[in-house]
Amino acid sequence: MGINLNDLLRHYRSHIFEDYQVETPHTGVISYKVQDGQTVEGPSGEWLQRPGTLLYIIEREKNVKKMYTSWNGQVTGIRPDLEGHFVEAGEVVLSIRHRLDKNEIIDRILTQVLNILRAPQQARYFLSSDISAKLGKHPECRIAIEPGDEIVIMSLMKRDTAISYKEASGVLYKVYFRSGDIVEQGSPLLGICPSDRLQYVQEVVQRIRTDWENM
Amino acid sequence: MADSGKLLSQLADRISYLIDIKGSSAWINLKELQDRVQGLRHSLFEIKEADLYNEIDRIEDRVSFMEDRVAKKLSPAEIVNIVRSVQRFTLIDILENVYDSYTELGGEGECNLDPAVVVARATISRRVKNKLYSHQVMVIGHEKGRGEEYRNGGCAKPWGNDKALRYMMVAETEGIPIHFFIFTPGSYPVEDYPGAAQQIARNIYVMARLRVPMVSFISEGGSGGAEAIGLSDFRLMGSRGYYSVISPEGAAAIEGKIREGEKVPKDLIEHCATQLKITASDNLKLGTIDRIVEEPPLGAKREDYAFFRRLRYEMLRATDEIVLKTKNFRAFRAYALRRQTEEGKNVPEDFDVAISWNLTELEIDRLLELRSKKYREMGKDFFLKKSKGLAQRFRRAKDLASRGYYELRYGLLRPHHRNVQKVIEEVSSEGSVFFKKVTEPVRAAYDFVFPQPKRPAKVVSSEGSDRRSIFAEEWEPYLSPLANEDRTVTCPNASKYGCMDLWVPDLYGEFCGVCPNCGHHFPLEYQWYLKNLFDKDSVREFNNHIASSNPLGFRGFDARLRRDIRRTGRMSSIITFDARVFGIRLVVAMLFSNFRGGTVGAAEGEKFVRACDIAKTTRRPFLAYVHTTGGIRIQEGTLGVVQMPKCTLAVREYIESGGLYIVVYDNNSYAGPVASFLGCSLYQFGIRSSRIGFAGPRVIRETTGRNVPPGYHSAKNALRRGHIQGIWDRREFRKNLYDALMTMGGHNLYYR
Amino acid sequence: MSKERVLIANRGEIAIRIMQACKDLGLDYVVVYTKEDESSLHVRLAQERGGFKRAYRISNYKDPNEIFSVADQAKCTAIHPGYGFFSENFGFARRATMRTRPLTFIGPRWEVIRDLGSKINTKRLAKKLKVPVIPGSDELIYNEMEAEEVAEELFFLQKEQGVQHPSVLVKASAGGGGMGIEEVSRLDVFRMVYRKIQNYAKRQFGDEGVLIEQCLRDYQHLEVQLLCSSHDEVVHFGTRNCTIQSSGRQKRLEVAPGFDPAVCEYPFDAEGVLDQIVRYSVRMARHVGYDSIGTWEWIVCRDGSPYLMEVNTRIQVENEISARISRIKGGTEPTNLIKEQIKVAFGDRLGFTQKDVSFEGTSIELRIVAEDTNRGFAPWCGTITRFDYPEEPWARLYSHVPRDIPYKIPTEYDPNLALAIIWGQDSEQAKERARQFQKGTVIEGKGAKGEDIITNLDYLYDRINDILQF
Repeated sequence: MGINLNDLLRHYRSHIFEDYQVETPHTGVISYKVQDGQTVEGPSGEWLQRPGTLLYIIEREKNVKKMYTSWNGQVTGIRPDLEGHFVEAGEVVLSIRHRLDKNEIIDRILTQVLNILRAPQQARYFLSSDISAKLGKHPECRIAIEPGDEIVIMSLMKRDTAISYKEASGVLYKVYFRSGDIVEQGSPLLGICPSDRLQYVQEVVQRIRTDWENM
Repeated sequence: MADSGKLLSQLADRISYLIDIKGSSAWINLKELQDRVQGLRHSLFEIKEADLYNEIDRIEDRVSFMEDRVAKKLSPAEIVNIVRSVQRFTLIDILENVYDSYTELGGEGECNLDPAVVVARATISRRVKNKLYSHQVMVIGHEKGRGEEYRNGGCAKPWGNDKALRYMMVAETEGIPIHFFIFTPGSYPVEDYPGAAQQIARNIYVMARLRVPMVSFISEGGSGGAEAIGLSDFRLMGSRGYYSVISPEGAAAIEGKIREGEKVPKDLIEHCATQLKITASDNLKLGTIDRIVEEPPLGAKREDYAFFRRLRYEMLRATDEIVLKTKNFRAFRAYALRRQTEEGKNVPEDFDVAISWNLTELEIDRLLELRSKKYREMGKDFFLKKSKGLAQRFRRAKDLASRGYYELRYGLLRPHHRNVQKVIEEVSSEGSVFFKKVTEPVRAAYDFVFPQPKRPAKVVSSEGSDRRSIFAEEWEPYLSPLANEDRTVTCPNASKYGCMDLWVPDLYGEFCGVCPNCGHHFPLEYQWYLKNLFDKDSVREFNNHIASSNPLGFRGFDARLRRDIRRTGRMSSIITFDARVFGIRLVVAMLFSNFRGGTVGAAEGEKFVRACDIAKTTRRPFLAYVHTTGGIRIQEGTLGVVQMPKCTLAVREYIESGGLYIVVYDNNSYAGPVASFLGCSLYQFGIRSSRIGFAGPRVIRETTGRNVPPGYHSAKNALRRGHIQGIWDRREFRKNLYDALMTMGGHNLYYR
Repeated sequence: MSKERVLIANRGEIAIRIMQACKDLGLDYVVVYTKEDESSLHVRLAQERGGFKRAYRISNYKDPNEIFSVADQAKCTAIHPGYGFFSENFGFARRATMRTRPLTFIGPRWEVIRDLGSKINTKRLAKKLKVPVIPGSDELIYNEMEAEEVAEELFFLQKEQGVQHPSVLVKASAGGGGMGIEEVSRLDVFRMVYRKIQNYAKRQFGDEGVLIEQCLRDYQHLEVQLLCSSHDEVVHFGTRNCTIQSSGRQKRLEVAPGFDPAVCEYPFDAEGVLDQIVRYSVRMARHVGYDSIGTWEWIVCRDGSPYLMEVNTRIQVENEISARISRIKGGTEPTNLIKEQIKVAFGDRLGFTQKDVSFEGTSIELRIVAEDTNRGFAPWCGTITRFDYPEEPWARLYSHVPRDIPYKIPTEYDPNLALAIIWGQDSEQAKERARQFQKGTVIEGKGAKGEDIITNLDYLYDRINDILQF
């Protein structure tokens, strides 16, 4: 099981930016609070209790909502034509050019090293109650997963189907989605590290950490 | 010839003490004097001895002169500085010098459950006609230490207060008096079990009826922290001590609306220290302490042995007085008179009599009675009584009449009642028709004298129509004024649970202020509860004439008080009333937010105590519904603080008489009231989304340097920590309350 | 009628039918859609109409704020909720009428929706008007012992009547659609089930009140279609039979009229029962001052005794089979109940009375759904590549599925594909034509893993025989 770490790192170094599109959550009249090129900060504080930079406000049914950024980066693609106007739900109002940090690079590279459980269909996904309870108590804990364990619930057409893990036993290393979100078919849901590969994965993580700084 | 080095170091101490008091070395030429002393210490051996002593004498003169000047005009803020100086005596000095011998219990320096609280078994002795008599006492107090970090400046942790409580109970078991020494800027405001507020409440609750004499001495009496070991039969205070509802800095931050991290102006602190009436003489005037123990003009320091001798004398004397008062009044009078003639003189060498501190059961009962009376009197002169009209006199007459009725019904007839009941139960359990015939007329007559408590029939109650819906007035409930707006609001949990925006008329109307998706409770005005919690038109308020005032003459407070009175149409932040819940009559005290943030002062305390007493005489369950309380009203100073023991005492007496006391917290409930008469309830519930605690996140951050996570004070966490017994949904408040009354009140609902 | 503009707060075929009704009435309309529904025909049809912006993308059909926000932006004057979503939400109707910019809610007064929306209220009202209801408690029960007593009595009554396997239903007060309902056939397990449902009700609706009813078996599910106006006019459009349902109590085949003694044997006087339930329904509608379209749902047992089940204060999916067999003032065109509903909502008089309504023939509705009827009616999703059906003068098909491009069934909603309305001179002919229509319908498509589409067409064909049979 080999990956060319150097190639991957080089790839990410040349693709260091990720553009996140910011969509309106619902209809309403919007008003921008940032400008193109402005640097914005994501949520901060020990418990991420302080929201990020205010991007825009949206008013619907006399309720003015403040919309904050979830990522740090630079604002691009502001649409001046929308300022002060009614917009529909899901309208892209700006983008955030986000520079990937070390941990995000690690997450991305790990998708090539871990056993990845991907969404079999576009549907809503939930973590199994067992796992979400454990993660709720200790977000950093590594949960052991055995083949046959029901780890994810797929909610499709109002019906829930449990998806069980089929590969070699290991530990849950990474959750790639937010419980209750709609996930596109083929997108990664969970990353599981087989027990025998745990050390290898840690080495990879360690190497990325050091190489990323040094390159 | 005295050692010059030692003299210089003493001088340096005296100068730095003055700097402590003045808060800076900039006062007159303190700095220069300090430098001079420092210089002399460095060049000790380079100067001629005669010159050196001359110089020392000159400096000594200057220092003495300045000490006199400082002492002549000590401001309250300077007194606070005296109390906080590292040179001030601490509990260890007292244990060493006031008591003959002592054994510290449960602690050895840092190796201690809470090094800020020291407990010791000690002996204190007196000489009577050249014979030595010694007494056993339990000493409990705060130890500020000599700058050691683990002492935490005398801030007791919740478990430290718990330790104190345990040893109070040991003293009770052993029947020995307790001497409390209060040296605390305040309690350490963390919620970790047993919780700052809840533990203080427990302590006060126990102290209220602790069956031994207790004397307390205050050097630094920081609000709730002080009360945790402060309720006693005799309260002494050092003449240079302070006793306050809040630190002057804290008060200044609130008064000046200072934002976190910003510096509080010094003159504002000065101002607040003066306004809060924190000195010993102020407190004596307010009646919150019983006697002042004179200290040297600039306060007693570690080596003030004369002061310790005086303190020993005062502790003995105070304990004597407590004991004598329980014996008979004439003995006490004779004792007190004799002492009075000696007042003002130096501390006498010996006592005329040896008084045993052992009390008989009867005397202990008298002790408790006196304690109750003492606290009930506190603060009584510091609220207003408005409109003493006919109505009030009528009410009084009714109170008297009803007291007679209830005493007759529950007091005199009670034992008989039980017997008759028992006979009838035995007879009817036979269940035969024959017996029934015999017993029926008897039962009828009996029921006439002792009507069965009216309870909605539980089984097959087709007429129980008031149980059809949780809100009896099904479709037309009380309409909150908040609901009169065509707009929407966002639920604070929207991002977590995907709650949709709520239309305000729906939210504050039918949804009862609750997000239907996640159950988040938006705050509702207290009137909503008056209308929705109790049976229709069953609310009858009483003691409305008792009004909050500005007893300390706190500057600018009159206007604020007037504004709140005008705005709310009420005279205090508490409403007390009779009401019914599904037919069950109960007495309610409701603290609400719109009036001074639901803070408690002398008027509120008095109303609470009276409500307790009404519940007691009418034998009804007592509900404290806390719509919001922001703590003790700081503008009433220690008059507010003493409401903590006062109300707790009343509650305790109510509970011991067989009452069922239920506390329900809503919105925000913090500080003093939670740390006393609310937190002591055996049954405490939180309305969902409410916050309960001792101090808010900012105060915790500022006093402990610790950041608290969001939701630290949430009802859920309070439940997790064991501070409350359950969380109620507002929409089920009425039903839950009914269930609680039925299950906890049991068959003999609220009276045993 | 002045120039009204209707916001259609729904999706799928009903949105299209309402659009059509508005167009016929000369009213403007606006539709809303979600991202998942972007390729639904209702969006395209609205966009193609043009003139002004007629289709607005919203986040969620269930968010009332989105609906009102668009209604204001698009200058609408009225909202048609269709069925489902906000159709029976009295809070929504109340908000529409009480907000600072009021909107006409196309449906009954909100008070009526509220009062008839509560099962217990409806039951109490029915009792008061001497309308028969299912035996059981007529109040919410909060007390275990009381509940047990009611259950005991129901078992006793059933035994007395000689019911073979007596049982009772325990229902959460505000439940519906099969949730919060459980059957108990032995008294000794009653307490456990009661507690379970009570907890469910408390969790779900914040009220632990529970209903207990006799569990009826071997019955037909009938409906009475009413149309009323705010001018105290009450007219019925006969009855329907909706007995054929999926395992999840979802209707699949409906027929109007409710019984047809000409083709089927009934162990009771069928015409008499139909008259009876119509009379009862009209009596209740008059009493509450019903002022829109509405359906009274009935259970008719083998002995011919009817019991009122509930009132649906909305237009129903199957309304058109009643419309199809009725004529107003002897006209040649079938009635359009959606148009009538819109007209009365704007305050119009009906313009006809019961005497003017005549009936002709039998009409059958087939609900074509992508579901696996052999596996518990599991919904299927994937992409539809072909959808053909016969064009006949006696058949009409309503669907939001575009036929010229592949259509991906959104996973967020039920996979209902189309409604077919068949008419025949008599029941036999209607059934025959339904079979003919089914045979001529072709649906092709592929799932995520390349498997063929699954629909309920065969199931529908098989069940056509059962129509109207007791």
